[in-house]
Amino acid sequence: MRGFGDIAERLRRSTVQIFNGTTDGPTNKDARSQGSGIVWNAGGLILTNAHVARTPEAQIELWDGRRVHARVASRDPRRDLATLRIVANDGALEPATPGDSTSLRPGELVIAVGNPLGFAGALSTGVVHSIGALPGMGGQSWIRADVRLAPGNSGGPLANAEGRVIGINTAIVNGLGVAVPSHTALDFLRRGAAPSLGVVLRPVDLGLLLVEVDQAGAAANASLLPGDILLTRYDALTTALDSGRPTLRLHFLRGDRTRVREAVVRLTDAVEAAA
Amino acid sequence: MANQLAALSNEIAAAVAQAARNVVAVHARPRFSSSGVFWRPGVIVTAEHTIRREEEITVTLPDGTNVPATLAGTDPGTDIAVLKIDAANQNPGITTAAPVPGTLALTIGRSEDSGPNATLGIISACSGEWRTWRGGRLDHYIRLDLTLYPGSDGGAVVNTAGETIGIATSALSRIAGLAIPAVTVDRVVDEILARGHVARGYLGVGLQPVELPDHHKGLIVLSLEPAGPAAKSGIMIGDIVVQLGGKAVQDTDDIQRALEGHAVGQSVPVDILRGGESRQIAVTIAERPRSN
Repeated sequence: MRGFGDIAERLRRSTVQIFNGTTDGPTNKDARSQGSGIVWNAGGLILTNAHVARTPEAQIELWDGRRVHARVASRDPRRDLATLRIVANDGALEPATPGDSTSLRPGELVIAVGNPLGFAGALSTGVVHSIGALPGMGGQSWIRADVRLAPGNSGGPLANAEGRVIGINTAIVNGLGVAVPSHTALDFLRRGAAPSLGVVLRPVDLGLLLVEVDQAGAAANASLLPGDILLTRYDALTTALDSGRPTLRLHFLRGDRTRVREAVVRLTDAVEAAA
Repeated sequence: MANQLAALSNEIAAAVAQAARNVVAVHARPRFSSSGVFWRPGVIVTAEHTIRREEEITVTLPDGTNVPATLAGTDPGTDIAVLKIDAANQNPGITTAAPVPGTLALTIGRSEDSGPNATLGIISACSGEWRTWRGGRLDHYIRLDLTLYPGSDGGAVVNTAGETIGIATSALSRIAGLAIPAVTVDRVVDEILARGHVARGYLGVGLQPVELPDHHKGLIVLSLEPAGPAAKSGIMIGDIVVQLGGKAVQDTDDIQRALEGHAVGQSVPVDILRGGESRQIAVTIAERPRSN
């Protein structure tokens, strides 16, 4: 049984390293590897985590060492997914094969390829631990895997015993690898980013504190500011965002917290379908 | 080839699905739930160290419903707790004998949010009887080379056929997770269901092994519980215990093993040396006072 070796070799060719910023070269401090990505099709579409693709442009290193310029095509911070586009020449890309994450069962063998701590093409194996919602991470389903991951695995593939990609490695929670299921990624590729406020939130006693507000986001357009506290819970907010309504009425506190204020947020349509 | 790998993957997933039918989530501590296994109809076994409250314990059944459970009893020595629920239509899984080292093993747990969960590794060691640092006796020492996550404790340790090797615990060894062997669980569950706890024989003495002039060994009494069984029978500090219940004793393990063989309340002959002369004193074994 040649086992994981064959699968790993194929996956490695579909896994890229992502460097933020536009210039390359070892002298550039920004050119450290931010994570991994998956070659999704031969046309140059790269799938990764939104937290890996932070800047509008990036450098991508392919499995054979070539470096190419990439442009972020779409970001979905809530599902932590992003796509980048690279210019591919003469079919040199080897795209990954997607698998069906909806039929995944606990105990199935899985294999993760990525660039943990800058070590390119590293392999970890294990089994699916569980599939389902995670407390405090919204209502969506996540794959938890009993595989050893490290920073730099983010955005890389989690594949099954047939080498099909069933998840995108995203985080480590209590030692378990957490991956976005491939069916969530396919939904993102088909329908674009889910409606988002364009903020970074932190749960506090009263509700959700706005830690950062993206200047081009829906929350900024509704005049919300960093430091405001939304009077809602994360799960309720995600349900409201996913309800399909074009606007969202939010109650929040600002400053001395004596008055409940109200903002109406106009959610942008998911226009940037990536594929 | 990759096909064989896929076949193995399917086999493991099937074993998980089968074993998970008997695995529940146990809510008896803050923050993390633990897992438990249906051992008999209406009887769930979990790891004692994950039980932090005696009331308002609930379990999440394999079908996702939450039901209240009562604590039938615990045995901290073997890290076993027994819970009872009303639903008796649950059939326990098949248990298997102690495995050989190198056997593929899985721990199967459950959480309320995401259902059944699994981790994979191997049995790294398996040997005979072993006394835990908490004073209990396991019929086998089964060491696991796999990761136990916070919710896995109390879950089932199974082989790739889905047969139960034992109950997973991280509290009995600092270096590795262990499986409490199925045969030990059977024994302890019997006692807990009959009495609510596992009674351990007690003499009320502090002993130190010593070598005697004739190269035999014995245990010298260094301390005596004032109202304990040994003190009441007339054993004194400085006596050297050489036999208990007619069997030679050389170290404290021998004493503990001899006490397990005699029921609480029974009178046993204790052969001692006092001032160079041998004597026999009858001691009525009491039950070890239980902490907390």
